[in-house]
Amino acid sequence: MTEAANVDVWRQGAARRSSSIDDGLLIEQCRQGDSAAIERLVLRYQNRIYNVVLKICADPDDAAELTQETFVKIIENLSRFEGRSSFYTWAFRIAVNLTLNYCQRNAKLVVRSLDSEEEPYNHQATHALKELLSDDRSPDPAAMAQNKEVYEIALKALMKLDDAQRAVLVLRDIEGMSYARIAEVLGIELGTVRSRLSRARTKLRDILEAILS
Amino acid sequence: MRKNSDKNAYNAGTRLDELLSSFIDGELTADKQAEVEGLIAGDAKIAQRLRQLQTCQMLVASLPRAEAPARVLEGVRTSLAEKSTSDEWGTQKRHPRIRRVLAAAAMIGLAAVLVAVVHTIAPPAPTEQPFAVEGGRPSEATERPGGGFSVAAPHAFSGRLELKASDLVAVSASVNRAIEDINLSQAISPARRQDRRVYSLSCSREDLKSLLADLEHVWPELDSARLSVNTEVFGEQIVVDAVTTEQITQIVDQNDLGRRTEIAKDFAALNDMAALLPGRAIASAIEGQSKNLMHPLRVPKPALAEREDPTGRSPSQPEDKETVHLTIVVSW
Repeated sequence: MTEAANVDVWRQGAARRSSSIDDGLLIEQCRQGDSAAIERLVLRYQNRIYNVVLKICADPDDAAELTQETFVKIIENLSRFEGRSSFYTWAFRIAVNLTLNYCQRNAKLVVRSLDSEEEPYNHQATHALKELLSDDRSPDPAAMAQNKEVYEIALKALMKLDDAQRAVLVLRDIEGMSYARIAEVLGIELGTVRSRLSRARTKLRDILEAILS
Repeated sequence: MRKNSDKNAYNAGTRLDELLSSFIDGELTADKQAEVEGLIAGDAKIAQRLRQLQTCQMLVASLPRAEAPARVLEGVRTSLAEKSTSDEWGTQKRHPRIRRVLAAAAMIGLAAVLVAVVHTIAPPAPTEQPFAVEGGRPSEATERPGGGFSVAAPHAFSGRLELKASDLVAVSASVNRAIEDINLSQAISPARRQDRRVYSLSCSREDLKSLLADLEHVWPELDSARLSVNTEVFGEQIVVDAVTTEQITQIVDQNDLGRRTEIAKDFAALNDMAALLPGRAIASAIEGQSKNLMHPLRVPKPALAEREDPTGRSPSQPEDKETVHLTIVVSW
């Protein structure tokens, strides 16, 4: 598959685009063993990769370790990076693969811990979320997501999706990738991205409703 | 017949959701986009379904973004340094003859290193004059004419301590107890994996020394203990194998990055030499005499010259340089 044709929905559009311009140079410096360049590369991408990994695996410590592992793999394999996809795509492919493999290994553990942590939610948060799901002109979801309780409920609902659905949802809605880029990162067809994402959103809504009922 | 119509309805619903989802993301062709707009305008149920999916999408998209903890960069640095060290070791293993030559050279150099270590740890001239800690750039340690050192602004210690033990649970429990005993639980973020425990510790130097003192009894239970000390060069570390708590304390105790690096190198060389010797004769000798060898020759702690600010900072400035970072990895 060729590089994503569509323009991604960058959250910080201009800033990110300008940072990606320098990637080629930075990578070349890293290949030559420039330690300062390696540090810059890590600093440039660590927050975005960590955020995506965290939203897929849900555990901050595991996310930190997986992010670290991702960068070690990236740096060790820079000589093999041929530039057929962008560095950004390649880096996220490594991160997501590592995370999904990790999730697979720990699947039973995660399910058990989620089940054991079923606690009553804050009434205000559940009420607001219910309104959000039932009423078209309800509170602003963007403002609601900043509420810690709502965040926890949403994260728990995300964790109840299967890994593949969660990954596609996180890459699209959190990292803002285009369908074409998601297809490249996950190594799947564009049509699969489309259907998986749609099913993930539908299922997420069902899960949220079940949690709140 | 009924089953078929249910299935058709389900498929139609799935296809509609797919269309609406792609519409939300702006991932439809112009034709399809217009088609969906027509559907939404003409059917209230479809419009409601669109809003439901949009709500879900917005909720996920608005979740707060998390920032990577500082230990990610630290961990990358450490892992890369470790890998480069193990690669070097791998090369040595592939060339036994080179290894033997190196061992011989190491034997010959042992005496010189021992002298150098003793000289470094305890300079021959009496050092009654205290260390003065001055502001300035790192690596600016200069010898004063009258003895003693002017130590440049300190770079806080950071490194990684890898403890291998066959009884992972017992050793981890001891580490946990030691952390709780000195109230360091807040300063630590433990990570659990099946085969290892990782403790990322950020605390004062004194707290770290207390922790090390508490952990001393764990050492006999260990299969190995390796300390990697970060240097000012990214990814470059001094690795001290078979490190003791006493050695770690002495390394951590150094304010000056250059001096810390030197002492870590000395300990690394000393421990490597000891490991190479037949029957570990010298190792035992060093260990057996460590009390005599190390204690009287302990490195004088940095002390203040009168009326001098130890850090060169105003009193209102935070004591951030005092915070040391140590990642402890316990594995089997």
